[in-house]
Amino acid sequence: MTEYWPWWAGAIGLGAITVAFWWMLRRPLGVSGSWQTVVHWREARRLAQAELAMRREPALAGDALMAATIAQFGAAATYGTIGHAPEASANSKHRFRRRIPWTAHAVFLLALATGGLISAFVNGGFAFHWNMGPVHELLFGGGFSSYVALLLGGLAVGFGTQMAGGCTSGHGLSGCARFVPASLLATAVFFGSAVGFSFLMEALVR
Amino acid sequence: MIATSRQVHIRYGATGLILGIVLSSVGFTDFGEVHKMFTFTDLRLLFVFAGAVALAAAAFALLARQHRIERKRIHPGTIPGSILFGMGWAVTGACPAIALVQFGQGYLPAAITILGVVGGVALYQAVHRAFFRWDSGACQ
Repeated sequence: MTEYWPWWAGAIGLGAITVAFWWMLRRPLGVSGSWQTVVHWREARRLAQAELAMRREPALAGDALMAATIAQFGAAATYGTIGHAPEASANSKHRFRRRIPWTAHAVFLLALATGGLISAFVNGGFAFHWNMGPVHELLFGGGFSSYVALLLGGLAVGFGTQMAGGCTSGHGLSGCARFVPASLLATAVFFGSAVGFSFLMEALVR
Repeated sequence: MIATSRQVHIRYGATGLILGIVLSSVGFTDFGEVHKMFTFTDLRLLFVFAGAVALAAAAFALLARQHRIERKRIHPGTIPGSILFGMGWAVTGACPAIALVQFGQGYLPAAITILGVVGGVALYQAVHRAFFRWDSGACQ
């Protein structure tokens, strides 16, 4: 691998991507959200189909809302609203936000890997690596033990980002740049946790 | 401004491609570089991240005057989830985007990280449904 870009080039690149993504799609950039949709793609597809049906037939939305209201609060809550429900639901199609198809999230994840591939070819040629580099090898060994570490670490990344509701892009970039308290808190905690754990890894090896 | 499905796919694809190129070109996919950031032996990547947030903050400050942008809320999973994610990032050098970029670059063991991420995402939904009672923010 040749020399990396200077920090300011990376800052401009990542900052521009964060803003451009929101500008193009009116949604905050967030990779863990894409993972969620792709891993649960059947559910995403079912929701999209249900929404499409409701958009075509707005009365369906009214019926569904009414059924949910009765289930939650009992039939008494709906007295006096029955006559108005279809009228209200006719307008409700304007409140639907178009769902991003799960296939677009899948394209996004595949494109990330393709970006890595292109970058490897551009920056001094592509090569297969059987470990994650000399530092990782020093900390976790080269073979089986490092694979176990990667599997457990990957599980923690997948589980943790879903639990925290975002990752480096959603909380770290999109959220912190708008001073969203949940994102500032999450970013401080995951950076702090990574720093603490990295020092612990160092201490255990040396 | 309503984009067609095809436009949405193209925009997501273009963002992913450029994000992958930038993350790998600046060294965010290199475990050694990430580890140096977390142990404060080299602050370069920290500057990349902080600089990106500062630039995006300036742009959003201008944009937010005209647009309401959705905001995430703090819930009981925010802190424990972030602690877990930080530990995983320290061990693998990967956040959910970077594992994929690493694999694309030819780091074959990143496939194991990706497997872990998929497992973690699947596991979380089952655990959330069985035990947790808060809104994960998925309905926003």
